[in-house]
Amino acid sequence: MTLATVELSKSFGGVAALDAATVTFRPGQVNALIGPNGSGKTTFFNCVTGMIRPDSGRVAYQGKDITGTAPHRIARAGMGRTFQLCRVFGRMTALDNVLVAARSGSLVERLRSPRSRDHVERARGWLARMGIDHLEHAEAGAMSWGQQKLLELAGVLMSDPETVLLDEPAGGVNPALIDRIADLVRELNAEGKTFVIVEHNMDLVMSLSDHIVVFDRGRPIAEGPPSVIRSDERVLGAYLGV
Amino acid sequence: MRSDSEQLPSGQLGRLLRVGAVGVGAALLLSFPAMAPNPYYLSAGIVVLSYAVLATSWNFVGGLTGYISLGHGALAGLGGYGTALLVTKAGLPSFVALFGAALLVALLAIPLGFAALRVRGASFVIVSIALVLILLLVFQSWASLTGGSRGLVVLRPFPGLLRPEHHRVFFFLYAALLAAALIAWWLIDRSRFGLGLKAIREDEDKAEALGTPTLSYKLIVFVVSAAFTGLGGGLYALWFGDLDPVFQFSILTGAYMVLMALLGGVRHLFGPLLGALIVGVGLEYFKVEYGSTPLHLVGSGLLLGVVVMFMPDGVIPAVSHAVRRLRGAADSSIREVTAAELAEQRRPAEPEEARR
Ligand SMILES: Nc1ncnc2c1ncn2[C@@H]1O[C@H](COP(=O)(O)OP(=O)(O)O)[C@@H](O)[C@H]1O
Ligand SMILES: [Mg+2]
Repeated sequence: MTLATVELSKSFGGVAALDAATVTFRPGQVNALIGPNGSGKTTFFNCVTGMIRPDSGRVAYQGKDITGTAPHRIARAGMGRTFQLCRVFGRMTALDNVLVAARSGSLVERLRSPRSRDHVERARGWLARMGIDHLEHAEAGAMSWGQQKLLELAGVLMSDPETVLLDEPAGGVNPALIDRIADLVRELNAEGKTFVIVEHNMDLVMSLSDHIVVFDRGRPIAEGPPSVIRSDERVLGAYLGV
Repeated sequence: MRSDSEQLPSGQLGRLLRVGAVGVGAALLLSFPAMAPNPYYLSAGIVVLSYAVLATSWNFVGGLTGYISLGHGALAGLGGYGTALLVTKAGLPSFVALFGAALLVALLAIPLGFAALRVRGASFVIVSIALVLILLLVFQSWASLTGGSRGLVVLRPFPGLLRPEHHRVFFFLYAALLAAALIAWWLIDRSRFGLGLKAIREDEDKAEALGTPTLSYKLIVFVVSAAFTGLGGGLYALWFGDLDPVFQFSILTGAYMVLMALLGGVRHLFGPLLGALIVGVGLEYFKVEYGSTPLHLVGSGLLLGVVVMFMPDGVIPAVSHAVRRLRGAADSSIREVTAAELAEQRRPAEPEEARR
């Protein structure tokens, strides 16, 4: 059991974004979290990564209760995430964007240069893997949307997560890049990383995921492998609009 | 575009020029007492230098984390009163009192920062203003300790010295403090810690999601900033020898620090120093020419408006941008390659650009 929630609830001014959501994601798999707009997917990510404190309910990660734990501790525990509206440090270079995520231990170590050989090598490695290493000196804010999405992913991977939460990785991205992102997810999953992906592109979801959880109005209404979800009536009704 | 702390690959010459410029600047600064035509100029120089220390100290928080504090005047005031009280009431030697007071200010900055650094943006600015107002009230009304608005007189640390000599010594003391603050800022700026702080400045939630312990980082740099600010205020107490809460806990002090740092450029090591030179000399000039009219306030306000509207990154980036454009040679070709690469990279991605 990698990531699980029990009766997780969060409302904003009376509107329940999460309504006693009990969900379990599977370790080592590509999990998808789908559902109509406003069904609470992003709020779910925010609650499990500590960015928002849930009103009630628990979050467990690798057997530990992490409800209310600070986001940087959750990140250090091995859970990384991207944001729905891709977030990079606009006025830093691509390389520095990735270096921010490098781990340092003691305070003394934190006074050393961020551009130490091993860190730079690893950061360049991730940029190369995303195919944007030629842009390492470019300012992130000047890069294209698709490049920024790849850069954000490179940063998250630099923090060495075991579980990666992606919030709409294919949103606003051209088809060629969607294929590249899908390949990356497959490769990284084969290397042992667990994924939870929020995504509206159904082709991508169906081809990529092992396990799908469907949200409607802040709670799961169905879950299972793609073949089951594709033909589930509640899902078709609530989400696929059929 | 390159981020400001990034070294150009062709930067060997640039670095040499920069080191040379710093050396010349330091030499000019240190020769000022010898060149000043009379003690009045020298004391004006000390005031300007004290502004430079305060603005550079402010920039640990303002420049690195992007948290705009209007309350730093209160930290300087606490450093001043702390030093004065440790001398007059506890009988400590002047410079022991100075460092003792700075240590106390740094310790006090822990709970202050813990409370204030949780709120961002405009709320943080308002909390920082509240700090000044509260301390002003406390120090004004607690007259038995602070002398209230009658003032608090501190014995000079070197009673044997004549006035011009006294000024000269304090000019060099301030120069040393400024150098220490600049070195500390430089070291933090180029460290992993500094990169984390700059990530906070850019996007705090994102920085934290990547594992940066944002609250601890902000708190540590706030404490460092408070310690230098306290030293700046304490040195002023030892130099000037007479404290009044109205001036020590003035919202204006903090506002000047902000103006100077923004004017020079908060992302640059020497930005606050440059801003302090411009604004400080201007203020001293107004004081001589127009006495105590509120004219300098109007001038400062206008200047702040101009900076925020037209030079949001301050004078240094604005000037270096212009210089680079004029020079157009070696290092602009590097910039063009990057730009060309970007353009090329962007072409296949054009359709998605429209969606942003
Ligand atoms: N910070 C917020 N403040 C107020 N309402 C919010 C906030 N975040 C989300 N919501 C509301 O919560 C509901 C779920 O939103 P969200 O989690 O973003 O859904 P999804 O990601 O599935 O589209 C929506 O009604 C949204 O308006
Ligand atoms: Mg969403």
